[in-house]
Amino acid sequence: MALLEIHNLSKRFGGLTAVSELDLDVGQGEIFGLIGPNGAGKTTVLNMVGGTFFPTRGKIIFKDEDITRFPPYRRARRGITRVFQRDVLFRSLTVLENVLAGLYMSSSTGFTEIFFKRLSIHGQEKALYEKAVEILQFVKLDQLADEMAINLPHGNQRALCLAIALATQAQLLLLDEPLTGMNQEEIKAMMHMIRTLRDEKGITSVVVEHNMRAVVGLCDRAAVLDYGRKIAEGSPKEVVNNPAVIEAYLGKEDDAV
Amino acid sequence: MSRKLLINLVIIVVLAAVLIILPIALNNVYWTSILVIMGVNILLVSSLRTIKLVGHISLGHVGFSLIGAYGSALLVMKLGLSFWAAIFLGGLMAAVVALALAYPFLKVKGIYFALLTLLTAETFRLIVWYWPSLTGGFWGLLKIPSPNPIPIPLIGTINFANINNYYYLTAFIVSLSLFVLYRLERSHLGFKWIAIQDTEVLAQSVGINVKWHKMLNFAIACFFAGIAGALYAHYQHSLSPDATSRFGVLMSIYLVVYMVVGGESKFAGPIIGTVVLTVISEFGRALGEYQPMMIGAIAVFVMLLMPEGLIGLPNRGKLLYRKLLNQTQRMRRS
Repeated sequence: MALLEIHNLSKRFGGLTAVSELDLDVGQGEIFGLIGPNGAGKTTVLNMVGGTFFPTRGKIIFKDEDITRFPPYRRARRGITRVFQRDVLFRSLTVLENVLAGLYMSSSTGFTEIFFKRLSIHGQEKALYEKAVEILQFVKLDQLADEMAINLPHGNQRALCLAIALATQAQLLLLDEPLTGMNQEEIKAMMHMIRTLRDEKGITSVVVEHNMRAVVGLCDRAAVLDYGRKIAEGSPKEVVNNPAVIEAYLGKEDDAV
Repeated sequence: MSRKLLINLVIIVVLAAVLIILPIALNNVYWTSILVIMGVNILLVSSLRTIKLVGHISLGHVGFSLIGAYGSALLVMKLGLSFWAAIFLGGLMAAVVALALAYPFLKVKGIYFALLTLLTAETFRLIVWYWPSLTGGFWGLLKIPSPNPIPIPLIGTINFANINNYYYLTAFIVSLSLFVLYRLERSHLGFKWIAIQDTEVLAQSVGINVKWHKMLNFAIACFFAGIAGALYAHYQHSLSPDATSRFGVLMSIYLVVYMVVGGESKFAGPIIGTVVLTVISEFGRALGEYQPMMIGAIAVFVMLLMPEGLIGLPNRGKLLYRKLLNQTQRMRRS
């Protein structure tokens, strides 16, 4: 049974068809790569799964539940969390508070509970704090817990983005170009983290990425989009050697003349 | 931690003592009445800042204060409710109207939100103006009774027609409201509000229902605006929907000025801003109609020289002191 099923998904912006009749299945515990040249519609797919906007046609099913028309916050509560492309952080908060923000969402249920809990029970607060530190240790930011989030270098900000997503107890991470703008070491560390999350906590990831080498190293399975259509799917190595994919990236052999 | 707690406790006790002693020490009906109005304004500006926490500036806070004022007064006069129920219901009316309006209003941001709220407040004022059978229209609503006296065994009854007693009532209700606002800001709810102001998309994606929290924020702030209005109504015994009254545009702008001058980054900012500007404008009464100009000049001065408002002054002083220290050291070396 697939964790995330995408059926016949299409998105049109005015006259432009960004994604067209896409079918995808992502299994539990998979690291799934979504690749393709610029403007192929990868981020659009991610946006639709994350709920930033709704598809024109088609269905998105998560854990046997149709979430096609759910707003982002409801998807987040079901376990789908977006890790953004740019460094989208809570800018006025410290690193630790950023993670706490993610934790509060998964810990609180109603208005009265939120309001009175903090007034009376300090124990729960402490538990959350410890959990936040634990998550920061995982992404190796515990030394920087009290820094302001915006003052971190780029690689660390990306790691913090991941930490925030973890705090929401995500089961499906939507990673939008998680490796862009990083140096080799940071790329290695990030890839290691994504894999560890899968191995230790069974967290599934959908990764949108330009960096082919990273995709081959990281993903279990990958699909290639071109002009909004899926042109190949399979293991990363297969996909990369697929003639249609090579054509999409480099053009036809005849064109080279 | 416990030392910090102790310091806070001492500050609270001293503040409470000052609040209690103030009208007795002043022994002046005029100044005590200024204090009552100041208390009402503090609550208005503080709740205005609550809206600012999610990143909106409302220029219609007086409109919701008007709903609380007229609502509470009419409940007492027409339905014979007790003041204690009426003031709460007045606030609740403002909150309900705010919640209903928030849904369409919060589709827009920034200056558009400010304009919408400004026009809404004017609409409320004009509805009151053109509905004389209920509200007294432009003649105003007169003879609003004082709060019912409370009998207390041994001491006797507390009569709120007495200005000192009304002052204590205001101080109590405003302090209580400020406490609630403060706790809200420090709760998970306040944390979410700040997260929303920071980065709305991320707030959404970590599971915050952004729209609902913004609506809730607006309704809570307007609830306290309503309470402030009701406090004013039963103190003044009369209400007027005139453009130059407390419910006009000018007052809306004053509230924002109080907030900005005090500094909106800290909870105490609006309180300091309101107190300082009220006291200054009282001493500037001799200027007559030029008084608003003086307030304007102060606002410009503060915005240009202290972007963080008066609340940022201690920090600035520290920085300046360090800078001077460095300079003198450098001069000595050379």
